[in-house]
Amino acid sequence: MENSKQVRLEINGQSHELTLDCRSTLNETLRNHLRLFGTKLGCNYGGCGNCTVLMTGRPVYSCSILAVECEGVAINTIEGLSGEGELHPLQEAFADAYAAQCGWCTPAMIMAAKALLDRKADPTVQDVKIALSGVLCRCTGYTEIVKAVLQAAKGMQPQVAKRNPTGGPN
Amino acid sequence: MGQANYTEGSSVVGQRIRPVQGVDKTKGKPLYPADIDLPGMLWAKILRSPHARAKILNIDTSRAEALQGVEAVITHKDVPKDRFEAKEGNEGLTILGDEVRYVGDAVAAVAAVDQNVAEEALQLIKVDYEVLPALFEPEKALHQDTPTCHPYGNVMYGDWNSPTLEYRRGNVDEGLGKADVIIEREFKQASTSGIPMEPRACVAQWDGKKLSVWDSSQRLFGVKQGLCQLFALAPDQVRVVTGNIGGGFGVKECDRHSFIAPLLAIKANKPVKLWYTREDESLDCYYRPGLTHRIKAGATKDGHLTAIQARSFYDGGAWAGFGGAEALNLAGAMCSRVMDLYHKCPDVHWEVYCVRTNHPKTGPVRGRSDVESHFPIECILDELAEEIGMDPLEFKLKHLLRAGDVLEGHLTVDILLQRGKTISSLGTEECVDAGKKAIDWDRRNKAAGQGKGPKKRGIGMAVATHNSGSTQYYKSEAKVDIDSEGRVSLLSGSTDQGSEQQTTLRQMVAEVLRLPIEAVGGISGDTDAVPLEGGPIASRTVYAHGIAVTRAAQDARSQLLKKGAELLGHSPDGVELKDGMVAVKDNHEKRLAMGEVVKGSGGMIHGEGRFSPLETPLVTQGFAATFAEVEVDTDTGKVEVLRLVSANDAGRAINPLVVEGQIQGGGAQGIGLALMEGVAYDPPTGTMLNQWFLDSGVPSILDVPDVEPIIIEPWEPTHPFGAKGCSEISVISVAPAIANAISNATGKRIYDLPMTPDKVLKVLQEGGNR
Repeated sequence: MENSKQVRLEINGQSHELTLDCRSTLNETLRNHLRLFGTKLGCNYGGCGNCTVLMTGRPVYSCSILAVECEGVAINTIEGLSGEGELHPLQEAFADAYAAQCGWCTPAMIMAAKALLDRKADPTVQDVKIALSGVLCRCTGYTEIVKAVLQAAKGMQPQVAKRNPTGGPN
Repeated sequence: MGQANYTEGSSVVGQRIRPVQGVDKTKGKPLYPADIDLPGMLWAKILRSPHARAKILNIDTSRAEALQGVEAVITHKDVPKDRFEAKEGNEGLTILGDEVRYVGDAVAAVAAVDQNVAEEALQLIKVDYEVLPALFEPEKALHQDTPTCHPYGNVMYGDWNSPTLEYRRGNVDEGLGKADVIIEREFKQASTSGIPMEPRACVAQWDGKKLSVWDSSQRLFGVKQGLCQLFALAPDQVRVVTGNIGGGFGVKECDRHSFIAPLLAIKANKPVKLWYTREDESLDCYYRPGLTHRIKAGATKDGHLTAIQARSFYDGGAWAGFGGAEALNLAGAMCSRVMDLYHKCPDVHWEVYCVRTNHPKTGPVRGRSDVESHFPIECILDELAEEIGMDPLEFKLKHLLRAGDVLEGHLTVDILLQRGKTISSLGTEECVDAGKKAIDWDRRNKAAGQGKGPKKRGIGMAVATHNSGSTQYYKSEAKVDIDSEGRVSLLSGSTDQGSEQQTTLRQMVAEVLRLPIEAVGGISGDTDAVPLEGGPIASRTVYAHGIAVTRAAQDARSQLLKKGAELLGHSPDGVELKDGMVAVKDNHEKRLAMGEVVKGSGGMIHGEGRFSPLETPLVTQGFAATFAEVEVDTDTGKVEVLRLVSANDAGRAINPLVVEGQIQGGGAQGIGLALMEGVAYDPPTGTMLNQWFLDSGVPSILDVPDVEPIIIEPWEPTHPFGAKGCSEISVISVAPAIANAISNATGKRIYDLPMTPDKVLKVLQEGGNR
């Protein structure tokens, strides 16, 4: 096909060889090619953050990144977060509180929170708010989300030394 | 109906139960319609009008159809005519018309192998328009020389000199005559909407006999009925599945996307996914009407509200909900519900001009009618109280509806009359008391604007009411199945759009059957599997559907007890349910597992329950009081909400975690309405200028304090668990509380929502008050 390129993407620690239209965004690629539907799309123009994934441990808007830019770069999505049956502390904490209402922004919120907690073990409320300020939620009013992230931080503290985001800076 | 009192020893209802889908949502597992992926599926795109009003003289789709990868193109010619009978009062839904009525109105749609090809195909469609004069400003409809811009006229049920509706109580001229103080103000509210984070999607598949549709809709049976009607299909030929929806707020009912995808799927003979872009979603959701109100309110020096006279201009947009009837109901309720709240105001006259304009559609959005009415009323009464030197809280309390007061009701026959009925439960005073204490109302500036320095703080309040389930005309049914292993399943037609309906409903089932919540599973959101239910709209789920669900569980329970008693050799009132068993009351050793009893019944117990909205003579409404503390930066006009205390009466909280979440979420949306949200149109062309999230924001985590929810729980006598709906009452009093707080902070009033920094600054810099 015209305008296409072969790209090797590393998603949640797994390698994928794909032939993609150069115009494909990372978001389209995750959802339509790899059928990873956990990452959502709210606006497609960088306005809402519901498409947030991690790129070398940093939160990015997958709608605003071309798949071809991601060659060989570690990408993490919500699907890669929990191991076999074991929930990540963020997932535990979100489910414990009422931090997910409709659930549409939840994967993005959790990934953005993960990026924070992976670099700062003991965030303040303000740290959490700034870290999540790029993801919009229309349902919760955010309070339970902040509570859940702080709760998860407590749960993660002894394990911070063990956990290491795939390929990312500590 | 059988008044069941489940308060004693309630082990599931009233508990902060974790949402049943909570874990799945944290994994990104639930499927929304946009996540449905079928083999051979095509992608659809919609072509939209650049004109606000035009006749479509010709559409040439030949080049689009010839593009490689395009499998179907549809226009109005492909839409079966006259299947939705449009007439005044029920103007119907135009799927694709031969005229366009707003910039962005849908003209054609394409299905292609991928989104890029579909978008390219749109460019190749050639449309010949005859541009016609358009109407954008409702007040222009009152000028005799304004052309008629709609087949049914510019003013719904009215004319340039006669309003759509009038609300009268007593004699307003006499009432104003008795006042010592009269104030007259103009209020404006920009058009706003629910703006859920999930843009709607519809995936349609036709196999030659059956149409299956996955749709982001709060009303799956409404969609099914529409599809049966449009395609002349029998009920068994249409299946609608919703699964999870990413937020509803009223705007995901039944709209053109639910029909465009099936039309394409049938024409292409392949499954089609239509997933709205954010632009599509902005142009095809419905909006609250833009409003201008001119209000006069009068009071005596000793604190009696004597009269309210109002005239409102309601921008109904191109289609006002499902035709003019919806606007009529919305506008009628706008006047009558808040005037029923202020029951002790003797003389009222309120005229509304509902004008059909060439702006996008309007309809019932979260808090409908009361978001529209409470801003002007709560603000003008706050100002009136200030004028006569009275605490606005006391002034309002004095005139509020009390238990036993007879309602005047809706102006229009909204299927159910409220006229002559009384409120079943109300906790307004308790809400006010609780909120007042929590914010410490006595800290409020005694004289507005007395703070020093560029940053000024103030406290304000507002009260609210809203319907809460009993007066919506949708029936409800539910089933509770118990199998021979004793596994319980709730079959519910309600969909999960975020307010945890399934958790709350399962709690009711669990309570009736004396089981833990984990023992109750369920199926929802699939018309092939569940009984009829109107949908999670109008705050009716916990109430109307909850009653049906409880009855279904009670039916299952009584079948269990009857059969269990028979098998145990006792009378039915000698046995009870306990821990998944049917046991003899004073001898729990004699018992049978529920599954054993079901086996003895022939293998399955089906409990059925129904609710009909005409059954109760009382009216259920929710009530709230919101208290806001703000800090206004008088150099920049930026308003920060420091605290938002919101006390809500939604009857008994089935799940306080969920009710608090609704109060918090409603609080955030109220802050958006107060300070940020509003559509802007280009005046000459009627083009929507906002790009949501970029130009007109919704609150981010930085814009919202921790909303402090207070749950007030008067027992609702017409509900087996004493509950009412809670998801809308939480939005209504927020914006007026903030407006009143801004006034308390600065000594100046803003009468124009949203109260963006530029407007705040302008008012602060102008001398004096309005």
